[in-house]
Amino acid sequence: MLDPVYTVLSLIIIVPLALFLGVIYSFLIRKLSARFQWRVGPMFRMYSDLKPLLGTTRLLQPLYDILKLYGKETIVPDVSRRRLFVYSPYLSLIFAVTAILFIPFPGMPLLSGVPYSLIIASYLLIASTLFSILGPVASGSPWAAIGARREVELFLVSELGFVLSIFAVAIARQSLVIWDIANGGQSIYLALLTVAAGVLMLVAMLGKLHIKPFDMPEAEAEIVAGPYTEYSGKLLGTYYLTKVFILYGLVALFISLFLPPLATSVLWLPLYLLAALVLVFLLTAVQVLNPRYRIKNAINWYLKVVIPLGILNLIIALAIWLVV
Amino acid sequence: MKFEGAPDIAEYVKKEIYPDGLEYVPLRENRVAVRVAPEDLTKVAELFVKKYEARLIHATAVDLEFKGFEVLHIYDFSKKRDRLVVVVKALVEKDNPEIPSIANITWQAAWAEKEMKELLGINPLGTPDPRHQFLPYEWPNPVESGSIPEGNKFETPASATQTKEMYLPLRMPIEEAYQSLIPIGPYHPGVIEGQIVYVKVEGEQVVAADIKTGFHHRGIMKLIEQRGYNKGAFIAERVCGICSAAHGLAYITCTENLYEAEVPDRALYIRTLLVELNRIHSHLLWIGVVADVIGWKTGFMLTWGLRERVMDIIEAITGNRVNYGIWRMGGVSRDVSQELAEKAKRTVDNLKEECAKLLALVAEHPVVKSRLIGVGPLTKAQAFDGGAVGPVARASNWKIDVRADNPPHAIYDPKIVSWEVITDDHCDTYGRTLVRVKELLVSCGIVSQCLEYLAKTTGEIRIKPKSVPAGAEAVGLNEAPRGELAYYIRASDTDANLPHSIRIRTPSYRNNAIIPLMLVGSNLADVPVVMGSTDQCLACTDRVEVINEKDGTRKSLTWDQLINLSRRASRC
Repeated sequence: MLDPVYTVLSLIIIVPLALFLGVIYSFLIRKLSARFQWRVGPMFRMYSDLKPLLGTTRLLQPLYDILKLYGKETIVPDVSRRRLFVYSPYLSLIFAVTAILFIPFPGMPLLSGVPYSLIIASYLLIASTLFSILGPVASGSPWAAIGARREVELFLVSELGFVLSIFAVAIARQSLVIWDIANGGQSIYLALLTVAAGVLMLVAMLGKLHIKPFDMPEAEAEIVAGPYTEYSGKLLGTYYLTKVFILYGLVALFISLFLPPLATSVLWLPLYLLAALVLVFLLTAVQVLNPRYRIKNAINWYLKVVIPLGILNLIIALAIWLVV
Repeated sequence: MKFEGAPDIAEYVKKEIYPDGLEYVPLRENRVAVRVAPEDLTKVAELFVKKYEARLIHATAVDLEFKGFEVLHIYDFSKKRDRLVVVVKALVEKDNPEIPSIANITWQAAWAEKEMKELLGINPLGTPDPRHQFLPYEWPNPVESGSIPEGNKFETPASATQTKEMYLPLRMPIEEAYQSLIPIGPYHPGVIEGQIVYVKVEGEQVVAADIKTGFHHRGIMKLIEQRGYNKGAFIAERVCGICSAAHGLAYITCTENLYEAEVPDRALYIRTLLVELNRIHSHLLWIGVVADVIGWKTGFMLTWGLRERVMDIIEAITGNRVNYGIWRMGGVSRDVSQELAEKAKRTVDNLKEECAKLLALVAEHPVVKSRLIGVGPLTKAQAFDGGAVGPVARASNWKIDVRADNPPHAIYDPKIVSWEVITDDHCDTYGRTLVRVKELLVSCGIVSQCLEYLAKTTGEIRIKPKSVPAGAEAVGLNEAPRGELAYYIRASDTDANLPHSIRIRTPSYRNNAIIPLMLVGSNLADVPVVMGSTDQCLACTDRVEVINEKDGTRKSLTWDQLINLSRRASRC
């Protein structure tokens, strides 16, 4: 392990850094989908006549949108369970931020070296999602209730893929420590596993991040804003902030688990960012090309894809463990 | 071109269709007005609908001052004889006006009868659904403020118990209703305009549905009645911002049927051109809206991108993008030059290729298919009884198209312009998508044929209209992008410039009425898709008397006050 002072310092640095990268990823998703849709989207370089008014770039536009919400009035509905309604967004944010501390970044191992860090990180990510369901349920709105129910159903199936995928890797690498996995070597068999488990993880990420065929919890044409219908102002901003952190966290987890050793040394940083870019591009492509499923179809689709793929993953992982 | 009916049409109706009428008056273009006694209306309806399979276009009533109310049932007989429309009239007295309801015979009259009751007070006896359609359910017994107690317990106000069946969505007991009803509307992101669709859900399954309209009233019919025939064309266009050309043409068809009209051929081609361009952009808009409703933003953006180009062509031709303002009695006001026609033809041909590519993508996308197939089923029998029109009816394999059956004053003669009526046997939202996609390509074909003619020839575009005879009546039909659009105008007995009354029946008026039928049994996720599948245009549908009620005092606004209000609203 590295110097404790460095670890503490990096723990402090990673939070703003994760926020910045998460914002950049959200920006890329918005910009790329806009270009796919014959739109302009948020600007990399502002038109010269608008520069004095709007600044040279709108790279941080997703962040500005969230900050704007912090300046708005926060309304708490009378019929809500006030305490749960108000605390859930913050708890969700805390869990997401804590999860990030267990996922390595190039040059910063953070807490990923502690025993069982893989399990801790995945539990924290799940807990964050859980509180993004509990708050809406406490709001007393029928739209939120339907949205939360859909979210639970989707969460169950997408989480299945997530867990199967990360544990296949853990079995093959014989470790539950993210740092060890991220430092592991590569071989042909492991590359095979990386492809299979990576696809499964990507599929699970679609559901966890509400990428397009699976965004039915927030289907605005059907259930208004879904779980977030009654949220406004700071509380809504907190939920959006959580989403940014989770986007960063999942991308970072993906890279450290499936593309070792990109997340270890500072020297890998350019490749790390490239991998993140490719991942974001894939997510955007799926988002742009697809309409939304019904919840029933989505679950069927997940079960059809995730169970065979998950079993295949486990077989490969066991084979690597026992034979190689 | 002159528009004349067969000379023997009144005798034909008397002999072949209904011999017991009191009076037979032939109107222009094979339309016949038959006067009957009010109590015979059900008999006539039964005979027409059951025996001849005639279609009720609209049921309405006209206020004839001291003579009483004249109830009109307009039936379409075009399947039996070319262009034949029978207007059945019955005079009822003003004190205690009552007519027998025909909604039990043909359900499509239900909304029309409710409208008669709400606008004029004519009571349909034995109607299956006595609740209000356009007025609030509570009317005229409003809920007193404070009568809804705190918490989740709702009590029925004393005044409402007497008219309980007029008061309840889905006629559920209030306690039950508030627990499991989901109101989609009046303002909801899935539907752009204001209406309420109540759906009762169990889980995500819809077990009952009901629709309530009455959220925008603009008094269009009254405005035309006050302004005369020429200005009416501009107001009629403003009934709907999307199918404005269809409204313009239907209105002009109707007014031209009031007198002996003659229209130059070139004007007819320009009319066809505009109506079809209008249809293209309306269908592109619809495909975009459905893509948006099922969550496919990309499809939405791409189709609306193509739509912009159609709008650009329309702008080049008429100078306007939304309301074209070129409709005149006896022709059109603006010519299309030969160069412009050639240029537009090239653009339209390019556009047709791109549309074909994009729409093939839409129609074959697996997720789109999984969202549309089997959603909002409507059989042909249901479509006939409910009175579906336009693409909704044609997607249920029912071949009705006003352009073929009862064409408006434009060029739709299959000998001159080659085109076809599209039908589909899917009987669901996917079928409606396919019908619209194919119709759009057919419309592109008609447009390029019109432009070809306009590029080759020159000629007059307007012949001065003659004066309208007193007391004339006319029915004007047109196929709007959403379906059959009907206008009925009765000329004033004293003033040659003013209509006595005008009645508009828009296609959405019909298609909205069958939405609850299609909703039952579907998934909650499909509710906006089904609602969108009829391409509803609610501003066309609503027609309620404006009464501004605050603190129990009634105040109706004058025209000037309304203008001042709108100016004040738009200033800030």
